[in-house]
Amino acid sequence: MNKFWTRVFLLATAFLLLLFFSNDFGLIDIQKTSIVTAIGIDTSEQEGKIDVTAQIAIPSAGGNSSAGNVTIPAVSTIGEAIAEFNRKTGWYPTLVHCRLVILSETCADNDVFGFLDYFLRSEFVEDSCLVAACRGRADELLAAQTPVGELTSSAITKVLSSEAQKTGLVCVTNLRDFAKGYFSVSESGYLPVLSIKQEAESSGPDSSSSPVFACDKSGPIEKNETTVRRAAPAAETGFSAQPARTRNNFDRLRAPSFFFSPGIQYLPFRRWRPNRNPLPVSTASQSQNGPSEQASSDKKADIFDAAQTLLFYRGRRVEILTEEETLAFNLADTATDFAYGDVSVVENGAKVTYNLKIKISKKSQKLTFPNGKPVFTFTIRAHANVNDADQAFDVQKIARTSIVPPQVLRAAEAKLQTQLSNILQKIQQTNCDLFEMKIKLKRFYPKRYQSLQNSIFSDVQIKYDIKFDTMH
Amino acid sequence: MDKISVRQICFLFLAMMPLTKLILYPATVSYWSANDLLLSAALNFVAEGAILALLLLLTKKTEKTFFDLLRSAFGKIGAKIVYGIFALYFAFSALLPVLEHKGFVLQILYENVPSILSFVPLFGVTFFACIKGFKTIGRTADLAMPIFLLSFLGLLFLSVMQADYSALLPIAAAPPKRLLQGSLFGLPWYGDSLCVLFFLGHFRNEKHTAKKILFSFGGGAVATLLFLATFYGIYADIAVKQQNALAHISKYTTAYTSLGRIDLFFVFALTLVSIFYLCVPLQLSVHCVRKIFDDCNPVFPSAALNLAFLVLVIVFNYSYLKIQTLYTQRLWWIYLIFCYALPALSLFLLLFRRKDKTLLRFEQTEETENKNAAERAPSLLQKKMNVSPKRAQKSPSVPKNNERGAS
Repeated sequence: MNKFWTRVFLLATAFLLLLFFSNDFGLIDIQKTSIVTAIGIDTSEQEGKIDVTAQIAIPSAGGNSSAGNVTIPAVSTIGEAIAEFNRKTGWYPTLVHCRLVILSETCADNDVFGFLDYFLRSEFVEDSCLVAACRGRADELLAAQTPVGELTSSAITKVLSSEAQKTGLVCVTNLRDFAKGYFSVSESGYLPVLSIKQEAESSGPDSSSSPVFACDKSGPIEKNETTVRRAAPAAETGFSAQPARTRNNFDRLRAPSFFFSPGIQYLPFRRWRPNRNPLPVSTASQSQNGPSEQASSDKKADIFDAAQTLLFYRGRRVEILTEEETLAFNLADTATDFAYGDVSVVENGAKVTYNLKIKISKKSQKLTFPNGKPVFTFTIRAHANVNDADQAFDVQKIARTSIVPPQVLRAAEAKLQTQLSNILQKIQQTNCDLFEMKIKLKRFYPKRYQSLQNSIFSDVQIKYDIKFDTMH
Repeated sequence: MDKISVRQICFLFLAMMPLTKLILYPATVSYWSANDLLLSAALNFVAEGAILALLLLLTKKTEKTFFDLLRSAFGKIGAKIVYGIFALYFAFSALLPVLEHKGFVLQILYENVPSILSFVPLFGVTFFACIKGFKTIGRTADLAMPIFLLSFLGLLFLSVMQADYSALLPIAAAPPKRLLQGSLFGLPWYGDSLCVLFFLGHFRNEKHTAKKILFSFGGGAVATLLFLATFYGIYADIAVKQQNALAHISKYTTAYTSLGRIDLFFVFALTLVSIFYLCVPLQLSVHCVRKIFDDCNPVFPSAALNLAFLVLVIVFNYSYLKIQTLYTQRLWWIYLIFCYALPALSLFLLLFRRKDKTLLRFEQTEETENKNAAERAPSLLQKKMNVSPKRAQKSPSVPKNNERGAS
């Protein structure tokens, strides 16, 4: 019996030691922990300084979790901001769940890795976290109110999800990919540009008002001291609509978005997007926000858009891809394998717009030297069927919806080729190695790398092997 | 005597050997050899495979233990001196992986970096393993095999799709000096084949033993190279920054958006196996010390060694980088001597076969004396107890071998 109790005692001791060494005692009380879900970085009014905004989800033992944004103004580094955050608020920021880093457009004027290297160094921030640029200020973007009342960062990560990437809606980049490009021989990268495209003003359950759309919003915010505010209700954060300031810098970079090609006349290859007119969702149902926000009768819902793509060379922004160019880039290069696009052709003297469902079956880019000169070939094989058209067709035509008229297929091919040409022009002008030509040159033709590394974009001849076929 | 089977040695090479090379080694070798990290690693594996082949040749020629071979060559004192040096070497070589694993465990398995106390229980495990000797090495190898297979394949399955293997091109682009540095400075993560020298005489040389062990070693090497290739394919130019590669290689799978980091189950399982492999050099060190002190009780050397390691881990708590730099860039030649030169030279011990025969004769004489004593024993018993010779032979006081000798 003694032996039995000795064993029980030893097992109990081992179990208690297991609990002890599990470091539960080392954890910070959940009431004092703030889970940072997103970080926004803006340039400060003080030169050489930055404003860092953390969107935090504050866990609560009672289950009434709340969320808010905390801005630490005028710091030199992100690390300093995190320490300041702890000192001023008393919350201990946990960055393990930080899934989004947003850089304001003014940050992108400098080498962004001056800020991003903190996240590369930190063992606690996953380098799989999404990185994006934004129009205007990042703290304003993080303070936007989503139509369904979820965390702003959560709504943005949905916009930048891998599913969105697969359908070509957005060029998603995570920290690892962006850093890989920056530290490679191409020294290039791209980030999706987030903007609050529209603002749907909706009312509470009693209201019958329909959504009213406003333009992009941004506005000055006092940064004299640490600003703590709730993320969800935009009305409470003191925003005012100031569209001009934030848009101008990007519009300056924006290229013409439509073109005409000889032979077939067609109109821009517009991206399919969800309904831009959001339903008047009641924000009173937002469970993550405190009761004070829910009491508000008039709410404004923001919709995030990331259809454009900002190009970087040596860590600085150099160009921007339009929506069509972003889609073309996705179709030619990234993990997009399924997309929708509009193609307009002239049939019987009238313009007809077809909405095509496109399935990419093959895509590749190859750098070769057939005659001693570099040739870069895009190979794209796609299948399409008609998803919709802007004209009323007879029932037989609708029944044969999978058959795309040949001229529409050719128009789609020409459209894609033109958009890729536009992108390549931008690449030549900016040296942003978007299609990783330099990397391919170094990997597959190391002997030619030294001589061609600086002139590859001007010397290279581009070939397009793009074929669209009807999806059977 | 401590016994280990050929199967267990095979599992040791196949399932446990790769694990110590999956934490900091990938980033280290990427730093020196960049995209040619596979060449540097392959060079080490080929050299080590050659040494392993020589050692297996040695096992074919003799069934004596390494200590007996040394004794026949240099006498008992000489053998003890050599074992003393090896005991020091094994203790020396165990420090870097212990510190490496400490960093890995504290950084990856805990949300906040906890105090070093969280790592202290490891020394309870190593103490126990050191007491038990080679048997535990074999048994943990048996246990490790299915865990490794499942977890390693799981990790690779989750990460292969994310890798761009063209990042390994162009092959041999790094200057030869960097390649060589990658190999030499990576030596602290190698030297596993040295175990076989100390397993000599502790396992039965069966049919195709050499083939089986070499094949398993090759399997472990291929698994390591595949991991390194995938690692570099995922991280390319930022591979040098990715410490704790084991925990980071598979985190980009899109499935995590809905499932969370399920790969951490595999990481935890592999860490467990890796911790067991961490015990091996310490066990070998204790084995050597015991031989010096004529097979003394293992508790004392085990306690002393583990206590020393506990102190060292506390002392070097914040000095991993310095220790790694010292081991990799300054003291790599020690590994070259102990893991490559000395095992190769051990083949020359076969030249002392004459002495070996003398030793054999000496042992045979001992056996004969024992036999005679056993034969005498029943008659003495018979006289004393007045029992029949048959009954006396069945008496438990007579040793079994003497029984066989009498018959």
